[in-house]
Amino acid sequence: MSAREEWREIGGRDVLDAALPPHGRTLPAWLLPLRTRAALGLAPVIAPAVLFVPIGAALGPAALNVLTPVALSYLDTVVAIALAALGVFVGLALDLRSARERGLFAAAALEAAVTVTLVSGAFWYLLSAWQMPLGLPVGLTGLALGLCASASSAGIPDGGSATHLVATRIADLDDVLPIVVGGIAVVMLGASEPMPVWQATGWLFRTLLIGIAVGTAGWLLFERAHSRAERNVFIAGILALIGGAAGFLGLSPLVAGLMAGLLWSWLPGHADRVVREDLERVQHPLIVVLLIVAGASCVFSREAIWLCAPLVLFRLAAKLAGGWLATRVQPVLTAGELGTHLIAPGLLGIALALHLQQVVRTTGMAAVLTAVVLATLAGEALALVLRPTEEPPS
Amino acid sequence: MMRLIALAIIVGTTAVVSSAGADVARGGPGTALAIGFALIAASLTGELFERLRLPRISGYLMFGVACGPYASAILTPAMARELQVINGLAIALIAFIAGLEINFVRLRPQLRAMLTMGAVLVVLMWLSLTLLFFVTWPWLPVAPELTGPARFALAGLLATVTVSFSPTVSIAVITESRARGPLTELVLALVVLADLMLILLFTLSMETVRFALGSSQAGHGLLSGLAWEIFGSFAFGSVVGAFFALYLRYVGREITVMLLAVSVVLSQVGAALAFEPLLAALGAGLVVENIAPPEGDALRVAVERGALPVLVLFFAAAGANLHLGALASVGLLALVVAAVRLVLIRLSAQAGARLAGLHGEVPALAWMGLVSQAGVTLGLAILILAEFPEWGGRLYALIVAMIALHEMVGPILFRAALVRAGEVGRMDHPQPGEHLAVAAGPATS
Repeated sequence: MSAREEWREIGGRDVLDAALPPHGRTLPAWLLPLRTRAALGLAPVIAPAVLFVPIGAALGPAALNVLTPVALSYLDTVVAIALAALGVFVGLALDLRSARERGLFAAAALEAAVTVTLVSGAFWYLLSAWQMPLGLPVGLTGLALGLCASASSAGIPDGGSATHLVATRIADLDDVLPIVVGGIAVVMLGASEPMPVWQATGWLFRTLLIGIAVGTAGWLLFERAHSRAERNVFIAGILALIGGAAGFLGLSPLVAGLMAGLLWSWLPGHADRVVREDLERVQHPLIVVLLIVAGASCVFSREAIWLCAPLVLFRLAAKLAGGWLATRVQPVLTAGELGTHLIAPGLLGIALALHLQQVVRTTGMAAVLTAVVLATLAGEALALVLRPTEEPPS
Repeated sequence: MMRLIALAIIVGTTAVVSSAGADVARGGPGTALAIGFALIAASLTGELFERLRLPRISGYLMFGVACGPYASAILTPAMARELQVINGLAIALIAFIAGLEINFVRLRPQLRAMLTMGAVLVVLMWLSLTLLFFVTWPWLPVAPELTGPARFALAGLLATVTVSFSPTVSIAVITESRARGPLTELVLALVVLADLMLILLFTLSMETVRFALGSSQAGHGLLSGLAWEIFGSFAFGSVVGAFFALYLRYVGREITVMLLAVSVVLSQVGAALAFEPLLAALGAGLVVENIAPPEGDALRVAVERGALPVLVLFFAAAGANLHLGALASVGLLALVVAAVRLVLIRLSAQAGARLAGLHGEVPALAWMGLVSQAGVTLGLAILILAEFPEWGGRLYALIVAMIALHEMVGPILFRAALVRAGEVGRMDHPQPGEHLAVAAGPATS
């Protein structure tokens, strides 16, 4: 793990950490190796889910019950804001002005589409055959699992490998498709009566409208703030409005955030840079809370365990296949390399599943969330083994 | 102009969304919506107030009042309630910041003078108000039929609640004004000390009322309850603060998350154990500042800079939940009591400063920082209402109306005092030796 990699966690280094004066005291020798310290939470980790989800599970109602159901309901507010923040980050990363970026986006979208299709199709068949009592429409359950499986995280662009660099960018961009399709799935799953796709797509446009309206207000405010503190208030407020307005109507805060992020990138001025810079102040705690809530919301039922193993397997196969197909669009990479870089799932899949579980509070959806969480942890472990570690420098 | 357009978009979006989803109960996202709306709209209102040379905090409050359920109702009653979710966390964070301001090494030279002034202030005010309420009792709409010891006991109880100050508002005005200097330190010390004394006074007054009215709860665990609330809160906060200081010193990572966790522990766990969250958080900040001064100072600066969203939300929520109905029903009486209180604060503060040997402009301005009333006072009124529902409701209405007045006037007066003392903005530009600027010694004038 390189020195840069030490701080390449989701959310970056905590800004308050930097405010403290450096101290000369050292920890006991056995705590010094970075991985040990990371495992103990004393240093940032590359895959925060591995650390914070188990903590959440331990604190949740299923174990110690420190995070009671009432406490979790309060934390729903933070989760709505965290989802909006994730969406904004994906939107800010979606810069399609150069031909190279458009090519990478096409490859990422193709890889994500293949993963969603393969995993959804496999689960549609499997759930139909098993007759598992989830109490959810089989097709939509398969789609939800496919969407959660399609997100990936390639770690950091460490500068040593061209493949890794491209894979990192593709991993950033392959979140767009599941977020957008997830915006439709959320509406369909949350509807009290079966809803046709065209109607749900109409609701997706309303979600985009929320993103555009609140995003425009943010654009008008951010660069006109009189102080950094006031700018922080505006950014926090806009994030809360995006997450709150979308969530209040049963729509996807991720989609609304994505739209706002895109808007800030496209509109003139420095709103995108300002937001990216200031979000670092709040993003880290938000992500931690999101993962802890996800862990605490897990219900380790028989259904969840049964869903988990095929999810890991289908996702691995679909990522390899998707990666292989994406190399046809993006010939910088050799066939088969990309998929292995995309095995680590990151946290967007957990975020999607958590949002679905907040919209549809049934035992079936709790099983889906738990399966996604367990599959994410397994995916991170697999990535440690399968991800290429030594490559020729670019 | 652009800000106005942004505000219009935000008000429009919130109004459309809240009306479209009004029939659906969506706790978390509903709270997020209220928070987002309050953060931006209250912040812009605060800026407008600043242009009018008024404290931003008053702007946040006015936004809450104007958009709250008792006025335009853009914030529905449910949203106004949900906004209060932040209250516990905000009080803990604000008190934690106050604790970080108290460095015993810096304060030692003037500690005795501050204690004397605070004690004289509270005792004089309490005695005067008790006497006044006792004499005018038949005209007060609480329980006019009472006579003798019962009437005296209730007058004492009402005096205790009327005397109470708001450490939270005072600290918030200091933080928001980026103020630092002798007046800031004096007011901070006075409100914290008064808060301790008032918990003691309130417990004794309640016990006296129970005895006087022949309540079955009289005599049950008076001392243990007091000890638990005051010393227990400080001890609990000190233990949490000590662990946090050690964490800052030896780990120093993920501090935002840890700070939030500490605030949650102090407010939620503390409240569950019947501790006073304000005292516990104050104790925690105090321990961090005095055990690990370099880390405490750096943490204070960083947290104060990031405290603005918490302040905006806290006061917007307070405004939205201000019961304007109470002001309408007993407003005139509340106005008279508030005026008497204001005069008594000024006179008692002058007497206290003279007895403590403090002189100069700073002690003369201190009374202006003591006018605010908010959460502590409301908490005391709620306790009375819960135990004596037969007349507690009438007393509660009077106190709530007084709080509404003091909450609007207090921050304006304190900010004016800080401006006159030249302390606004000095947190960003500290001057050498400013902490010892209150002249202690025999009064010369």
